[in-house]
Amino acid sequence: MTLDEILQGKDPDRMSELAPADLRKLFWMYKGLLKRVERDTAYWQATNDNLRTAYERLDEQERELARAYQTIRQDLEIAQQVQHALLPKDHPEMLARFEFSVYHKQMTEVGGDYYDFYRLRDGCHAIGVFDISGHGVSAALIMAYLKAQLVQTMEQVSRPREIVEYLNTATVGFLREVRRYATVNFVSFGEHSFRYVCGGGYGVLIRGGEVHTFNKGDPFIGLRRRAYSEYELPFETGDVLALYTDGLVEAQDNSGADYSTRRLHELVRTNSHLPANEILQRCLDDYGQFRRVDADDITLIVLRRRAA
Amino acid sequence: MSEETEASEPVVHGALMAGFAQACVNLNIVAGRRANALLADIDMGRWFPLAKWMELERMVGESYANVEPIRLKLGIEMMTLWYHHGPGKMLIHRGADFLHFQTGSNGIASVIRGPRDVVGSFDLAEFDAERGHAVIRSSTPFDKTIECGVLIGGVMAPGDLHYVDVTNDGDLNRLVVEFH
Repeated sequence: MTLDEILQGKDPDRMSELAPADLRKLFWMYKGLLKRVERDTAYWQATNDNLRTAYERLDEQERELARAYQTIRQDLEIAQQVQHALLPKDHPEMLARFEFSVYHKQMTEVGGDYYDFYRLRDGCHAIGVFDISGHGVSAALIMAYLKAQLVQTMEQVSRPREIVEYLNTATVGFLREVRRYATVNFVSFGEHSFRYVCGGGYGVLIRGGEVHTFNKGDPFIGLRRRAYSEYELPFETGDVLALYTDGLVEAQDNSGADYSTRRLHELVRTNSHLPANEILQRCLDDYGQFRRVDADDITLIVLRRRAA
Repeated sequence: MSEETEASEPVVHGALMAGFAQACVNLNIVAGRRANALLADIDMGRWFPLAKWMELERMVGESYANVEPIRLKLGIEMMTLWYHHGPGKMLIHRGADFLHFQTGSNGIASVIRGPRDVVGSFDLAEFDAERGHAVIRSSTPFDKTIECGVLIGGVMAPGDLHYVDVTNDGDLNRLVVEFH
């Protein structure tokens, strides 16, 4: 009886029939098996120890990540407060002359849409709407920078063209360095009209039931030094002006279609008899039903001249 | 790599590097993108600076608190790959052949080149088939536990032996092989 024959059966009592050579073979097989088990046990033990260490490191990294996330959250909350503080709040002088309503939503805690109301050196009221390229903290920092530059600019000049040119000249070097730019819509109101400069911004005037867009195609701020053009449109009691950023009209529905300027302009036109805040709400309701998800910061300002 | 570089600089053959790297991947010592990068980095037809090998050894050492059983397993796995998926089957047919293959540092010379005082030797110093006893004198720069694993894996790979163990009796450069 050979070892292989015995091992194939189930009768251990027949081991005594083995030849000495087979017994030696069995001895080394058994010892070899023990050695393998010993090596494999050591290997798996080391692997197991390593896994435990890895999990402990992972736990620690998770805690560090949570701490870092908390710090970032707190910083963003402060940044958000700062950015809100930079936006205009009470506008009694503007309200005396204009009925207006504003919707401003950043996609994240802070963002790159920026608007402001001004009283120019010549006494005119003005609105500026800017959309800084990119999102988040970097765009918000550029926004704060632009606001500071605008304050200085307002002390020097007062016509929209001069203001935008001055601002562009003052900021183009820095903006090119940080590879950012900003669209601009700057509107200054006279007694029966407004003058405006449009560098990539969006706007629509509803006057006498007709739509007047003023996308004139001047360059964005921060691309290059150049002269800007200034245009003038009549603006009298009952006329409605809407200024907005691309986040609104470039939002898409489930099929991938843009909300579009045409849709917004038509909505403003058909509701232009309503108070400014209702026009704005109709626009937002329609936009809310249309869009799948907000893809960009959004600013929409609807404004109507009050009766003298 | 030029002959001039080979002579002045210790280099390791890509096949050995690839075997080591593949063993690391098989044993999940490296995984995911790191594993892909590790394997993609190694061209089997090239010679690599010895420092690159040492970097791999260090990577393993840094990954484990108790690394010796891992190194041993790595050596075994490397030679299992060498025998079953490399040229091993053409070079040896029995476990003892692997030990004879080391005579005159024949085996090591095919995978490492450079100044003798750096690359050292890996030479069969004693062989007694009757007692199942052999001694390898090793002065290579490679990790000695990995070398123990290489001997175990190489001798076990043909499958004709039932028991193999390698010890070094306190002398790290004297690897005592017991085989039956």
